[in-house]
Amino acid sequence: MSEDPEVEVARRYAGAATVAAVVVAACWHLGYDLTAMLVSWERYRWPLLAAGAWAAYLAIGVAGSVALLRLRRPLRMVWAYAAGALALDAAVIAASSPGEVLGLADWGWGSVGWLGLILFWRRRRHLRELIWFLLADGAIIVAGMALAGVYDRVSLARVLMVYAGGVTLQIGASVGGHALAFAARLAAEKSAEQAATEAAREIAERVHADRMRRYEAVRHATADLLTAIAEGADPADPRVRRECAVGAARLRRLMTETDDVPDPLLATLREHVLDAERRGVVVSLEPPVGTIPELPAGVRHSLARAPLEALRRARGEARVTVYAGGGEVIVSVVADAEDVPVEHLEGVQVTQQREGRSVWIQSRCAVP
Amino acid sequence: MDPEPLRGPVTLAVVEDHPVTVDGIRLWLSQDPGRRVELVASGPTVEAVLGGPGATADVLLLDLELDGVMIIDRVAELCAGGRRVVVFSGHREPETVLRVLDAGASAFLAKHESAEHCVDTIVAVATDRPYVTPTMARALISDDRPQRPRFSEREHLALLLWFQSMSKASVARRMGISEATVRQYIDRARVKYAKIGRPAPTKAALLARAIQDGLIRPEEVRDYRSFAAGGD
Repeated sequence: MSEDPEVEVARRYAGAATVAAVVVAACWHLGYDLTAMLVSWERYRWPLLAAGAWAAYLAIGVAGSVALLRLRRPLRMVWAYAAGALALDAAVIAASSPGEVLGLADWGWGSVGWLGLILFWRRRRHLRELIWFLLADGAIIVAGMALAGVYDRVSLARVLMVYAGGVTLQIGASVGGHALAFAARLAAEKSAEQAATEAAREIAERVHADRMRRYEAVRHATADLLTAIAEGADPADPRVRRECAVGAARLRRLMTETDDVPDPLLATLREHVLDAERRGVVVSLEPPVGTIPELPAGVRHSLARAPLEALRRARGEARVTVYAGGGEVIVSVVADAEDVPVEHLEGVQVTQQREGRSVWIQSRCAVP
Repeated sequence: MDPEPLRGPVTLAVVEDHPVTVDGIRLWLSQDPGRRVELVASGPTVEAVLGGPGATADVLLLDLELDGVMIIDRVAELCAGGRRVVVFSGHREPETVLRVLDAGASAFLAKHESAEHCVDTIVAVATDRPYVTPTMARALISDDRPQRPRFSEREHLALLLWFQSMSKASVARRMGISEATVRQYIDRARVKYAKIGRPAPTKAALLARAIQDGLIRPEEVRDYRSFAAGGD
């Protein structure tokens, strides 16, 4: 089931057309067919056969409607049901006395087309199959007329008129219903497309605004620095040099950040890198190797905990890298910091190595 | 495996359109205790540098972006004549690094790591020896193209740890091996790339030197060749 509102609207439109088809068939059968049969009960040759045909119609109609509305697929062996519908059509003709063929008692041939509409609705070639079905219905009534010896012009004109009227209604309902569903689907697709374009535009705007914001921040930092140098700050002063290094690292990161939808792990790391930079630490955050898979929030926090602690403790320099590959994600931080307390966290393996003034923290988790 | 002493300083030509960067390079060269590299020419275009004393320099350090234009396409042409080119750039995406290595460049130096690696890279390249900067290591382990060479597990691990820590001593301790062995793993991985992309005299020289140094065996070169032929 899709949760997309546009798709849902299209589905409802298509659903309404099928409900309409079922309601028309049901009203026709329960209203017209039943009344016609009961009124003509006395004039049937075999009234029970007519009643059986009426019940069979109902059974086929119910099966077809369930498939149409609930299962949303055509019945298996749909032509067997269609053959049953045509047989009940013939049965009603047979049950009627010869004088009643085409009369009120012979309700089957005019009504069976509605069953065809329901049975073939979800078939790929629904219109072609419905037309074949209606032609077979026409052939049966013509055969019935021949057997009953009804050849007069008035009867022929009448059958043609009723048949043409019925067929037009049934084909019209099928074509109209499908056209409605098609139009709704098209409209839904257009609307979804529009929504996607809109979303992409909004994301691009946000990314752009975010970059501009960061660019502004860096520009301010570098502008202040450059102004200070222009006004005579000594480039040999370690403090000035450190500030230059921090500004350069930020600019470099700004240039290499090409991800439009930042990964949550990278977003967390970047936030902490900015914090460290505010304290004057020169951080090199390398673009990640590989594509970071989606990690559960808990695992992500555990994975980042020790590296971020090392970053927080960095005194002057840090290098942050992320590697995703070979079924694992590794976050590594090398920083001139004291040792980091390493706690055992579920699903994450942390190693710590000291190299002179630097500590190297490697935190890894397996990717399912 | 230690490189033999150089006969004189390595001569270097630099193609770089920002004079301040050339000054920076000059500073790094002067800070090298052995003064192993001498800058003989520099200029803002390839033509300006190769038109003078830069034509015979041992190594050409090439900025990939000159006057706002990327010149990746010129790397192959420069390497085709046997010139040893070290590409030097702020554009350090793995695709760019792999493209210049494929084209025959001897090494790739990211601008931010140049202070630590610039002189060592140039000296190694001047003797046709591999030198893998952490940026190169990142590109090599990021490579997912079908024609990429197969690394052994140890080679891959050494590259990854080198990229993460930037210290071969740390990598050695982590892997429980000597620093020389770490270098060997990393250099072997680099040499495997000498068979990728178009042939270039610089790549042949790198392979020949690797055999001479015992880094790879001659049969292994044939393995790469047959692998490359099979992959066509």
